[in-house]
Amino acid sequence: MRWIIASLLAVGLTACSAEAPPAQNQPEPVSDKKVTVYSGRSEALIKPLLENFTKATGITVEVRYGDTAAMAAQLLEEGDKSPADVYLAQDAGALGAVAKKGLFTKLPADVLGKVTDVYKSKSGEWVGVTGRSRVLVYNSDLVKQAELPGSVFDLTGPEWKDKLGIAPTNGSFQAFVTALRVQHGDNEAKGWLNGIKANGAQIRPNNGQIVADVEAGKLSVGLVNHYYVYERAKADGKTVDALKAKLHFFPNGDTGALVNVSGLGLMKKASNDADARAFIDYLLGADGQKYFAEKTYEYPLVAGVATAAGLPALASLKAPAIDLNDLDTLQATVAMIKEVGLA
Amino acid sequence: MKSAAVAASAVALIPLVYLGVRVGEAGWDRITGEILTERTALLAGRSVALAAVVTVACVVIGVASAFLVTRTDLPGRRVFGVLAALPLAVPSYVAAFAWVSTVDDFEGFWDAALVLTACSYPYVYLPVAAALIGADPAQEEVARSLGRRPFLSVTMRQIRPAIAAGGLLVALYVLSDFGAVSIVRVDVFTRAIFTSINLGFDRTGALVLATVLVLLTLALLVGEHMTRTRGARYARGSLRTHARVRVGWIPVPFLALVSAVALGVPAYALARWFVAGVSRPGSVAEVVTAASQSFVAAALGGVVTLLLALPVGLLNARSPGPLATVLDRIAYVSHALPGLVIGLSLVFFGIRVAYPLYQTIWLLALAYAALFLPLAVGAVSSAAAQSPPVLEEVARSLGRSPLFVFRSVTVPLAAPGIGAGAALVFLTCMKELPATLLLRPTGFDTLATELWTHTDTAEFAAAAPYALVLVLVSALPTWWLSWKSRL
Amino acid sequence: MVVELEISSLTKRFGRVTALSSVDLVVEIGHLVAVLGPSGCGKTTLLRCVAGFERVDSGRIVVGGRDVTSLPPQRRRIAVVPQEGALFPHLSVVDNVAYGLPRGSLKRAHEVLALVGLADMGERMPHQLSGGQQQRVAVARALAPRPPVVLLDEPFSALDAALRPTLRRDIRAALRADGATALLVTHDQGEALSIADEVAVMREGRIVQTGPPTSVYAAPSDPWVAGFVGEAVWLPSGHALLAGVRVVGAGERVLLRPEQISVVDGSDAVVVRTDFHGHDAVIGLRLPDGTDLAARILGGAGLPEVGAPVGVRVAGQARAF
Repeated sequence: MRWIIASLLAVGLTACSAEAPPAQNQPEPVSDKKVTVYSGRSEALIKPLLENFTKATGITVEVRYGDTAAMAAQLLEEGDKSPADVYLAQDAGALGAVAKKGLFTKLPADVLGKVTDVYKSKSGEWVGVTGRSRVLVYNSDLVKQAELPGSVFDLTGPEWKDKLGIAPTNGSFQAFVTALRVQHGDNEAKGWLNGIKANGAQIRPNNGQIVADVEAGKLSVGLVNHYYVYERAKADGKTVDALKAKLHFFPNGDTGALVNVSGLGLMKKASNDADARAFIDYLLGADGQKYFAEKTYEYPLVAGVATAAGLPALASLKAPAIDLNDLDTLQATVAMIKEVGLA
Repeated sequence: MKSAAVAASAVALIPLVYLGVRVGEAGWDRITGEILTERTALLAGRSVALAAVVTVACVVIGVASAFLVTRTDLPGRRVFGVLAALPLAVPSYVAAFAWVSTVDDFEGFWDAALVLTACSYPYVYLPVAAALIGADPAQEEVARSLGRRPFLSVTMRQIRPAIAAGGLLVALYVLSDFGAVSIVRVDVFTRAIFTSINLGFDRTGALVLATVLVLLTLALLVGEHMTRTRGARYARGSLRTHARVRVGWIPVPFLALVSAVALGVPAYALARWFVAGVSRPGSVAEVVTAASQSFVAAALGGVVTLLLALPVGLLNARSPGPLATVLDRIAYVSHALPGLVIGLSLVFFGIRVAYPLYQTIWLLALAYAALFLPLAVGAVSSAAAQSPPVLEEVARSLGRSPLFVFRSVTVPLAAPGIGAGAALVFLTCMKELPATLLLRPTGFDTLATELWTHTDTAEFAAAAPYALVLVLVSALPTWWLSWKSRL
Repeated sequence: MVVELEISSLTKRFGRVTALSSVDLVVEIGHLVAVLGPSGCGKTTLLRCVAGFERVDSGRIVVGGRDVTSLPPQRRRIAVVPQEGALFPHLSVVDNVAYGLPRGSLKRAHEVLALVGLADMGERMPHQLSGGQQQRVAVARALAPRPPVVLLDEPFSALDAALRPTLRRDIRAALRADGATALLVTHDQGEALSIADEVAVMREGRIVQTGPPTSVYAAPSDPWVAGFVGEAVWLPSGHALLAGVRVVGAGERVLLRPEQISVVDGSDAVVVRTDFHGHDAVIGLRLPDGTDLAARILGGAGLPEVGAPVGVRVAGQARAF
């Protein structure tokens, strides 16, 4: 019943908003103390956060967990009839794909205002919730700190022959290659891909496997997101300092230090759903951001929340000057990775 | 019965209609651009090669095991009879994870072939064992009396339909599998489909590629059809048993090795996960909830699949002809599509046609039916052979209505065979993941989805109890399957 | 005469093949009519049409004055005894017999079981019975609901030859005792002639002759029927051996039955074969002009040797065609 009311309202709203400024015609927000979330992020990470949210607000969360990409495909298939109010995605690419089909509503200005421009959609249809930095994970027994590369472009050198692990089918690697293309042009990006391939880069199915293999000494270094070492430590019951796998953040705005986001979008039919709004506010509020920082070791994107102990602050990272909105040419990247023969 | 069979087959057509609609939107250039590439050809070639290798291996192991267990004096053959069926209870993605986490550098074509063979040879073993038990001993005796070795001249001919049917299921399974091959890191055709969705968020491209799997399936179906010997053969109720070949202990190491590969390695890995890590599921209650919801979903899926399979299978057994053949084959056509594609097609169907059912367990059950109809249709067809038409005619001539006859004659006689089909569908539903993720009611966790949740974040120790319960719950119907085949 | 089953102008085609071509047949109440024909003649199709298992293309089937042509099998009240019995393997003998009875009518079930001589077998399962016993149960099951008409499809063909006569007699007796009207199809002329009140000979989808067994045997309507219902010996009309035999009808070929021919001392013919059956024997003879004959003699007497010359005598009446 709720979705019927909500979608009727949404239809009414879009009809009106074409004419007049939304502030005047905005109906009273509707609340039924329930919000439906499609989560492309894993249950183990998200569930405690949702429980905290319910405790704080009394709003029940109905949540579907799934693979981010499959969930994006599901949302596209569901279209306007989707039961979802909010889509919580692992990466910006999936949010972009759903936004492109016009399924998200523009987020309110005060929500968008919490996050700096590079971590949200230009048109305001999605916003980043957490940041994840690309890093080089290395085995401290096999690689000395002094030997660490200053740029991803060094990884094509003979000293890294057969030592590098990559996950070319993984979205985060793919976003990184897109960033390479944006920053250095298609030719150099392709040259780099060919270079690491010729240099015997080892293909792994995902970031977690790369970290596991680096920890086990099967790989010397690997390109992953920063928080995977924390997941490894947690699974092994160790502290992150006890691991042999260490993080190396590329310096000087190197593409290898790209900071990508996980984020969310608000479905059109929920544009006036007070519960969905409360949920978004919670995720981008102090409690939500703190949770991510402490439990998933990601970077909070809202000012005033501290990062996890042992991680350099987001502001201190020498991330490349790339707008995530420019990373929307995934197809071309996929084609390039395929062409080079890495996926 | 005909119209019911047509309606039932329509469920299997939902994925094809969906593919048609979406691929139609893609436009011709897009289609040729996706399909006519070197990479597509390469991946399709590798998929076919993998399917061929695994199918041949499954036929060799399945037939050898079935023969050893049913026709020889092998010591412990009852135990081996059950052990040979049990790998059905191990989801291929669990087996793949087990191997990867146990053996260093476990990856590539032949490693994937090993895992897939270990998981799917029971698809050949079970029907062949049943055929070997049911085959008329007189034919073999005649061959012997004519001085020929009966195995190749007669027995193989008697069990050929069973081998072909089992082999077809194996081949289609290998073509559709994504979980195991991606874990063992072999680049096959389903990978191209998932790459399109996972990297490019490109549904259309993925679906265009999926049509290639449908074409491959059609080719396989034609091939399998040509090996079929037509004409229904009804049970003669022969209670004579076959003479057992003397083999002694010699084949025991072979069967033990097969069981060690198919069951031992997953068991060892599960045990290790269990003790090695510190992550744990939230509580025993969560495991119990997941188990009971798995049970409910799989049971409902089994029932719906079976209800749909009944008219198709009966039509096939009772009035074989072009219509029955086409309807039977339709059930298979979408069987090589990955679960994700089937899931999306049911999302499409649910949103557009059956919205009140969307994200209810009923639509999930319907998806299971679309996925696993062939398993049930095959079982119903052979079960119907246990109830010859003449019995139904006699029953009707005694003044009983068709419904009464169905209830009092057909069902009791076909029940064991139909039950076997139900058990097979049930345990396959238990293991299903991608369509379950897309279609389950919100908040509905099953063993498979919980297993996915925890392995996705590398919490193997937390995943282990779910995997263990999943294997154990699936092992029950598997054990029943092999037991009821009088093994 | 009260007609229980009346089949008129029944036609049935399978694609281009005409299986039944305007078949007419009448069965009197309490009678057993045997439809006799070679395999493929359409007799089983006829039975299936009467039972309602096949739709007819044209014609009428009337049971007890009721037109059942378009009724489904369960509303025709015509019970069937199939070849090899086709007992329900999951039901006990008494449950098989009671299948067509209202719930709880066990008295009637036991009554018909007694009728077929299996009074104390009710609790057994079908696979514990011999073939002949299974057939008796099948008959009992068909009789149990007192159907106006019982159809029997080659009910004895799968049984040992030695068992058949007894079973045939018992089943005929059971049918008669229960007042059943029956139509039996068979390719076995001995069976048809011995059991039936009337025989209908069928060939290529048509009934070619109907009548009591004796008249069909003695006065077949054409040479084919003559040969089909029994062993036929053909002599050209005016043959020397026919001297003194009364020939009915006109034609160039004269029909004799082997039992009309006897072997005596003499040298009319040479013995070419002897087929000993125990109770009797058939002696194959060849006349000097090359004509082959057969003589049926009682089994007790000694048999002539093959190659021995014998005399031939013909007795009784003959038919010319």
